[in-house]
Amino acid sequence: MPRRHLIVGGGTAAVNAIRTIREEETEKSEITLVTAERPYSRMVLPYYLDRSIAEGHVFTATAPGLAQWDVKAHVGRRASRLDVKANVCTLDDGTTIEYDDCLVATGSSAVRAPVPGADGRNVHSFWTLDEARGLIASLSPGAQVVMVGAGFISFTILNSILSHGVALTVVELAPHILPRMIDATAAGLVEKWLTDHGVTIRTDARLTAIEDAKGKKRLRFARGADLTADVVIMATGIKANVEWLQGSGITVKQGIVVDDHLRSSVPNVYAAGDVAEGRDLISGNGAVHAIETTAQEHGRVVGANMAGRDVRYRGSLIINIVEVCHLDVASFGAWDDTKAAAITGLRPERPAYRKLLWSGDRLTGAIILGPSSDIWTTNDVGMLKGLVQSGVSLAPFRAHLERNPFDIKPAYVAAKTTAVLLPETVLGRPSKAPGETPVAV
Amino acid sequence: MTKVLVLHPERCTGCLRCELACSYMQTGTYHPAKSVIKVSPFEGHTSYAPYTCTQCAEGWCMTACPVGAITINVAGAKDVIDDRCVGCKLCTIACPYGTVFYDTDTRKAYKCNLCGGDPACAHACPTAAITYEERATEDWLGDFARERTAHALALEAA
Repeated sequence: MPRRHLIVGGGTAAVNAIRTIREEETEKSEITLVTAERPYSRMVLPYYLDRSIAEGHVFTATAPGLAQWDVKAHVGRRASRLDVKANVCTLDDGTTIEYDDCLVATGSSAVRAPVPGADGRNVHSFWTLDEARGLIASLSPGAQVVMVGAGFISFTILNSILSHGVALTVVELAPHILPRMIDATAAGLVEKWLTDHGVTIRTDARLTAIEDAKGKKRLRFARGADLTADVVIMATGIKANVEWLQGSGITVKQGIVVDDHLRSSVPNVYAAGDVAEGRDLISGNGAVHAIETTAQEHGRVVGANMAGRDVRYRGSLIINIVEVCHLDVASFGAWDDTKAAAITGLRPERPAYRKLLWSGDRLTGAIILGPSSDIWTTNDVGMLKGLVQSGVSLAPFRAHLERNPFDIKPAYVAAKTTAVLLPETVLGRPSKAPGETPVAV
Repeated sequence: MTKVLVLHPERCTGCLRCELACSYMQTGTYHPAKSVIKVSPFEGHTSYAPYTCTQCAEGWCMTACPVGAITINVAGAKDVIDDRCVGCKLCTIACPYGTVFYDTDTRKAYKCNLCGGDPACAHACPTAAITYEERATEDWLGDFARERTAHALALEAA
C-alpha cells in the first residue's frame, strides 16, 4: 500500500512540502491536502492591493497544478480534530482521513486590538486573501485611512494603501514604529521620511475604542485627540492557528514545538511555517518565525523527511525587508540583542543607517536602511545576510568596520564568506527550478 | 558540465567595461549602477576585482521566490521571469552573496542570468579577467581579497 501523507493547510509551507515530496520520493505516495482557502502566497498580497498584479497571480497551486501533482484536495474545508493515536484527522464536515504521517501547516490569523468597536463596519484586517479583497473594495481616492499598528505587516502594505490616493495616519502603541524589526534610531529616520512624504505617524498611542460617528469612524485613545477615519485597518499582530489541536496531545508553546527534523512531540506529525516553533539559527532556541522564507525551508525539509529522507534542519534566520516611499529598511537575525556588542553608522542627510551586532568576531544581526536608489547599487543587503547566516569570523576586519560600518564588501570577500556558503544547501542537494517537479508514476 | 563565469581578480584593471556591457544587456542602457557584475576596489584603489552571482547550488533566490518567478535557464543560470516577478524583494535578502538586485524603475528583481549563455561581461573584458568556462563554481576572490586587504588593514591599525 502506498504511504499516505496528509497535509493540513494550503499556504507556503504546505505547497513546498507537497512539491518536495514529489521531488524526493522513490515510490509514489498518496498525498491528501486539506485547506480552508485556495493555496495562495500571502507575501504578494500587497501587490494585489496596489493593483499591480491581478488576483489570479497570487495563487501558488491551482486545481490543475494539484491534479498534476496527483494531490487529493479538500479545498474549503478545515481540520477540526486530530486523533494522533488512531492517525485520523476529522474535518469540519465530518469527513475522516487516515494518514501514515501528517504535516500541520495551518498558519496564522490576524489579531485585532481588544477594544470596543474593533469588529465594526469599515474596520479591516489584512492577512488573508479575503481580507485583502475587503480592504481593496473599501479604499477610494481622498478617503481618510487610519492604520492601527506600525509593525512589519502594516509597513508591507503602506505603499499599496497610499497608491489608492488616500490620506494615511499610522498609530502605534510602542514608543517607535516597527518595534519588532528595527531599533529606535532607524525608526526615527523612517518616521521623518514618512512624515516628509505626507504620512502622519503617531506613536505611544493606546487605542481605547472605535466608534461610529456620522458615517465615519472615530478612534479614541488613552491620551491625546480622537482621530476620524473612513476606513480603519487593524495591523495589530497575528497568532498561530493551533486551537484545533487542543486535547490532541501535541505539545504547543508559542507554536507547535518541533525538533531538528520538524517533528512535533508526536513523531509522525510534523509542523511547518507560522504554526511551528522551531530552531532559531542564531540563538539555537525555539522560536516562531512567521515569515515566508521560514515557511519555505520548513516545508521543504518536512517534504523530504516525509518522502523518506533524513534531513536535519539547521534553523531559520529572521530576515525582513520593507520599502516605504522608496526608502528600504531591512533587518537580520539577532538585530535586537541588547546584550550584544553593536557598531552603528549614521548619515542622517541621505538618510543611511547601519547597525552590526556581534558575538565575538561573528555577526549575529544587522540593520540596514537607505533610499532605494542607494541601496540597490551595492551588494550590501545580501552580504549582510550572508555574514549573519554563515557566521564567518571577521576578526581582522572588526576594527575597520568599527570605523566604517558601511564598508561591508572587502570584509565579506576577504573573510571567504562565499567559500563557506557555496557547499550549503537546505536539502543536501542542488535545488530544482519551480515547475520542474517530476511526478512519480 | 555547465559553464560558469570565472573571475581572475589579479587581471582586473578596474576599467568597468564589464559593468557597461552588463547594464546594456540587462537594462538596455549604459548604466553601471544597474550592472549585476560589480567591480570593487581593494587596497586603497590600487587593485580591483569583479564580483557577481556564482549560480550557487541552493539558489537561495529561487527557493525564496513566493510566486516561482525565478527559474533555471538553458545556460544553467538562475533567471528572473519578469512577468511573474511582483517586486517583493524577498530574493534580494534571501541571497547570502548580495547578487540579486532590485530595479527601481521596473520594480522587478534582476540578477546575472549569464546572458542566456553568452555573457557580455566576459566578451567586454579587455584583460580576460572574466572568462566563461566549463568548471565548477568557486570562491574566486577570497584569497586575492585577503591578501590585498591585509596590507590596508595593517596601515589602518598603525
